[in-house]
Amino acid sequence: MGGLWHPGWRRVTFCGWRWIHPGSPARAAERVEPFLRPEWSGTGVAEKGLRWLGTWKHCSLPARHPALQPPRRPKSSDPFTRAHVEEWRQRNKTTLTYVAAVAVAMLGASYAAVPLYRLYCQTTGLGGSAVAGHASDQIENMVPVKDRIIKISFNADVHASLQWNFRPQQTEIYVVPGETALAFYRAKNPTDKPVIGISTYNVVPFEAGQYFNKIQCFCFEEQRLNPQEEVDMPVFFYIDPEFAEDPRMINVDLITLSYTFFEAKEGHTLPVPGYN
Amino acid sequence: MSTAMNFGTKSFQPRPPDKGSFPLDHLGECKSFKEKFMKCLYDNHFENALCRNESKEYLECRMERKLMLQEPLEKLGFGDLIGGKSEAKK
Repeated sequence: MGGLWHPGWRRVTFCGWRWIHPGSPARAAERVEPFLRPEWSGTGVAEKGLRWLGTWKHCSLPARHPALQPPRRPKSSDPFTRAHVEEWRQRNKTTLTYVAAVAVAMLGASYAAVPLYRLYCQTTGLGGSAVAGHASDQIENMVPVKDRIIKISFNADVHASLQWNFRPQQTEIYVVPGETALAFYRAKNPTDKPVIGISTYNVVPFEAGQYFNKIQCFCFEEQRLNPQEEVDMPVFFYIDPEFAEDPRMINVDLITLSYTFFEAKEGHTLPVPGYN
Repeated sequence: MSTAMNFGTKSFQPRPPDKGSFPLDHLGECKSFKEKFMKCLYDNHFENALCRNESKEYLECRMERKLMLQEPLEKLGFGDLIGGKSEAKK
């Protein structure tokens, strides 16, 4: 076949490949080939032929003797382009390395975030549950903010499988931040068997919940009620005085405390923090 | 508790109480103090500030009957009610 890369066709093949971009160089060369045989008369006809193909653009075909042409290189034929390509390849590799390093760093940061965040919460006291050492000295020294009266309303719920009668003994109470307050719930076991319940609580609105501090209550611990027994369950709490200084709490005048009792079964634990 | 589909929002984290849980008063030993306190609340339209004496007495009853750990009353926020009385409890 003489090959596509016969010196006589080299330039044309290169140009053909450039124009007829989606096609393959082989097909382009095949199409162009008849017009470029040495028998064909003159370059004018060759150019006409190429024009007929409809693909002649800026490719210039200097008439060169085949023997003088430099040894072929597949994609680029001059050192400049090859150097460019090499440089691009090098740059691409560097960029890829950087991107991969950033990805790995992000992954590592996401793993490191857990202990770091816990540390941050402990030092700044945000997030509520990781606060260390805030309780009794604060109660001793806190000053009630007398001009900010908050209504606390009480709610009581029971899980469907627990047959207790559980209800608050007061529907609401008016407190001020910084003042300790006492409230009562009542629970009665109307069945003939002792029942053990365990409770958890919820405070609405959510942002006010972080200021709601319970000194002592009856939650998170198993409470046993004998048959037909009725007990009073107190909750001793206070609202943190900083509640009055929080700008987000300006419109908060009602806080609802809601307790829910569940039946405590063997091996069944509430997914809430206990302290034992 | 928080319901489902709250993936992006913060959920409520219940915190354990500072001093733990009150033992249940099965024998009703402090019931009279509780009744006094509730009556005071009802009379004063549920204002806590006016019934702090009664709540202090209820907690003192609990502490006497070992239904609550002994604590100095200042630590429970009743420092202003103690006044001249020397509470040597601890």
